[in-house]
Amino acid sequence: MLIAGISSWTIEKNVKGYFILLWILNGSIIGTFTALDFLLFYLFFEFMLLPMYFLIGIWGGPKREYASIKFLLYTLLGSILILIVLIGLVISVQAPESGNTVVHTFNLLHMSDPANYIFGSILNPDESWMIGPQTARWWAFLLLFVGFAIKLPAVPLHTWLPDAHVEAPTPISVILAALLLKVGAYGLLRVAYPVFPDEALALSSFVALVGVVSIIYGALNALASKDLKRLIAYSSVSHMGFVLLGMASLTVEGVSGAVYQLFSHGLISAMLFLIAGVLYDRTNDRLINNYSGLTSKMPVFFVFVLIAFFASLGLPGFSGFIAEIMILLGAFASGSTNQVISEGFGVVAAFGLILGAAYYLWTIQRMFFGPFHVKAEIRPEQLTDLDKREFSMLTSLALLILIFGIFPQLLLDYINPFAQHFSESFFNSIRFIQNP
Amino acid sequence: METNILSKLKSISVSLYFAMPELILACGILLVIGVGFFTRTKKTNLNARLALAFLLASVTYTVLCWTHYVTPLTLFAGLIRCDQYSTYFKILIDIGGVLTVLMSLRSKDISAEKFNSEYYALLLSAVLGAHLLVMSVNLIMVFLSLELLSISSYVLAGYGFTKKGAEGSLKYFLFGSSASAIMLYGFSILFGITGTLDFTSIDFAERLIGSQSSLVFVAGMMALAGFLYKVAAAPMHIWSPDVYEGSPMPVVAFLSVVPKLAGIVVLSKFTIVLSLAGQSQFDWQVTLGIIAMATIAIGNLSALWQTNPKRLMAYSSIAQSGFLLLGIVCFSEAGIHALLFYSAVYVFSNYAVLFLLQAFETKGIESIPLFRGTGRTFVFASVVLSIGLISLSGIPPTGGFTSKLFVFASLWSSYAQTGKEILLWLIVFGLLNTVISLFYYLKIPYYAFLKTPAGQVLPQNTRFENFLAFILVVGIVFLFIQPDLLMGWLNTINFVL
Repeated sequence: MLIAGISSWTIEKNVKGYFILLWILNGSIIGTFTALDFLLFYLFFEFMLLPMYFLIGIWGGPKREYASIKFLLYTLLGSILILIVLIGLVISVQAPESGNTVVHTFNLLHMSDPANYIFGSILNPDESWMIGPQTARWWAFLLLFVGFAIKLPAVPLHTWLPDAHVEAPTPISVILAALLLKVGAYGLLRVAYPVFPDEALALSSFVALVGVVSIIYGALNALASKDLKRLIAYSSVSHMGFVLLGMASLTVEGVSGAVYQLFSHGLISAMLFLIAGVLYDRTNDRLINNYSGLTSKMPVFFVFVLIAFFASLGLPGFSGFIAEIMILLGAFASGSTNQVISEGFGVVAAFGLILGAAYYLWTIQRMFFGPFHVKAEIRPEQLTDLDKREFSMLTSLALLILIFGIFPQLLLDYINPFAQHFSESFFNSIRFIQNP
Repeated sequence: METNILSKLKSISVSLYFAMPELILACGILLVIGVGFFTRTKKTNLNARLALAFLLASVTYTVLCWTHYVTPLTLFAGLIRCDQYSTYFKILIDIGGVLTVLMSLRSKDISAEKFNSEYYALLLSAVLGAHLLVMSVNLIMVFLSLELLSISSYVLAGYGFTKKGAEGSLKYFLFGSSASAIMLYGFSILFGITGTLDFTSIDFAERLIGSQSSLVFVAGMMALAGFLYKVAAAPMHIWSPDVYEGSPMPVVAFLSVVPKLAGIVVLSKFTIVLSLAGQSQFDWQVTLGIIAMATIAIGNLSALWQTNPKRLMAYSSIAQSGFLLLGIVCFSEAGIHALLFYSAVYVFSNYAVLFLLQAFETKGIESIPLFRGTGRTFVFASVVLSIGLISLSGIPPTGGFTSKLFVFASLWSSYAQTGKEILLWLIVFGLLNTVISLFYYLKIPYYAFLKTPAGQVLPQNTRFENFLAFILVVGIVFLFIQPDLLMGWLNTINFVL
């Protein structure tokens, strides 16, 4: 967020309004992450939309109006699905201390305890209502999953993301990729999985499938992208697929890998979008084909591009590698330990890494190597190397990526207890439901 | 015989005491017309001030006497009944009237010399009609007060004195009178079946249970037609866009709030009677649910294509009636409380939006594309307008969100109690529609903030509108942050028939 603030230096029109909206956005993101009350969570979740809409819509690129309304409608649809479940849950859950008089609660911890469900209510795990061929809880989990998957975004609900990313100004892209996407995954980890463990288990293969499809489809799209920012956006889709896969495996490795991926992707994608922004600030052009041999003009910039790209494609030594290897480990381990998802998903997902390497290396080859050449309208003297502000932002991110790539324990010490607790309490509550 | 007359006179005089707000309004009508004779040639705001004073007196009296209505009082030998439910709506209706007068003061269509006193007299009589309608428990009284409300509104709708206004007014009149005729026919059949006009009496319900036939259904539907017409619900909504387009802005605001709320109240009482506590052969819940669904869908989908802000608000108000109907469809105490809350938020948001739309209209911004760039030239007004619209669409941080949340929560709990699938579909359908509605509610903010100004618009004073709309918007946001303040009070309201 600090990085986003600094990178907003280049905003020229209506600075006051811009920063007001940006800070409202930041406030609600923090609110979402800290809320333990479902209603509060939802309110902050929904409250992110409007500032984002105006930030993209007013300060964005040429097709900003289309992109912003698409973003808004897509994500609002997602939140509405969540709202349906929210109301259903509140009606079915009572606070444990309420005694004889029923006191409904929004507390997520209470919702995840089967003992708190009111007898005979719609979403009671012991005897959930049937809606069509499935139980009401099954539908509720599916709605939550779709709602959060839109935010994540997972294929096939991802189409708002490339548009929003391409049109948004650089700092907003950074926030969008580094923080907003995480809200979707956070919601799944915080709400969908603990509250509906049975259904999550039943649908694990489905979740893993969505994850793997996102990985491959995102990577293939990235390979075909002509616009640098669009490429990065699709790589985000691909990386978020890894998160889903790790979550679906329900192993300790998989879940902590997913959380690690969230963190490291936050750093890496922020760096990637800053890089795209650096280039765009100078030339107002992001088409990959319009550049070639940039190394000779911008050597320092090139170093950072290398770091970011290699980190993103999962080279050992960078934080992305740790995350992805743990997710793959979890996905493979799941087949042999808890049989939640089959190894096949892991195998296919590993291809995503190769595709990742392909599109990043090909981009480097096209843009930075070879003889120097740019589109006719761009004057070569526009391509100056990094200034101090950009240098400091990129250095700090690169250092963090390296540190967390080399010493993953720094973060894993915090994540592992959570992952362990998550995985254990998950299976505990399933056992509780099956034989109370 | 003599004692009988005496006791009747006595009951009338007692009733008059409790009907004080209505008496105040009736005096107001006479006085405004009387004063109008002497101020005909002068340019004066005297009539507006008088109307304002009487409306304020009525609302103050109603609020102060709130505690009198804890137990329902039947007045005038069973023609009307005062209870907290109707009193709450009387307060809202009066607030609507007060805001309309304030709007009229700034309107270019309601000029100070042209039939000024008649305008305010009609406004007061429409408010009086709405007052009586929410209290009526007798079919004849329902019809009379509905007509008092309608006939005043027909004339008000034509107050722009334009060709479009005349057309709208005539349309309103023709549609309205045929709807009333159908309703009256339905009433007469019901009277024939039950032998009583008091539709809340036990006789009425018992005889209906005794003679269940498709005739009851047909008669009930016919009677509902008149109410649906007043609330502009599908399929009786067709008049509203044309009427709104041709009317002056204060009248648009008035029509979209006062008759609608009055209609909703009598509709809620009537359908709950018709359902006979679940003993009815016909599922009125499903019927009403389908009507609500159709209303929301038609309102929202038609609003998507509008470029005239008045027509947009017309379709928006149709969709909003659908959501109000959802509150009734719950057939539960919680649903009625959600309906009460929703109505309050709706009054606030709708007036905030229309106040500012009028301010923009006086600057020549009469279609939505002309709003381009107003986010720069009228920053404050545009921001407040956007908050009002966002509240109508139901997104946090506005009261609109809270009110929709209450409605859907009560639908959910009705579903949990009865297990009727239609309620679940209503929830899903209604929520999906809020996404659709966001698209058109954001149209004006979209042009205002995302487009660059086309030309120089002369800045004019909008301080008055800004101030009033700001107060309303503060109210909306307050209802989001502290909904229990109003909801706690509403929960003490007993809904009894």
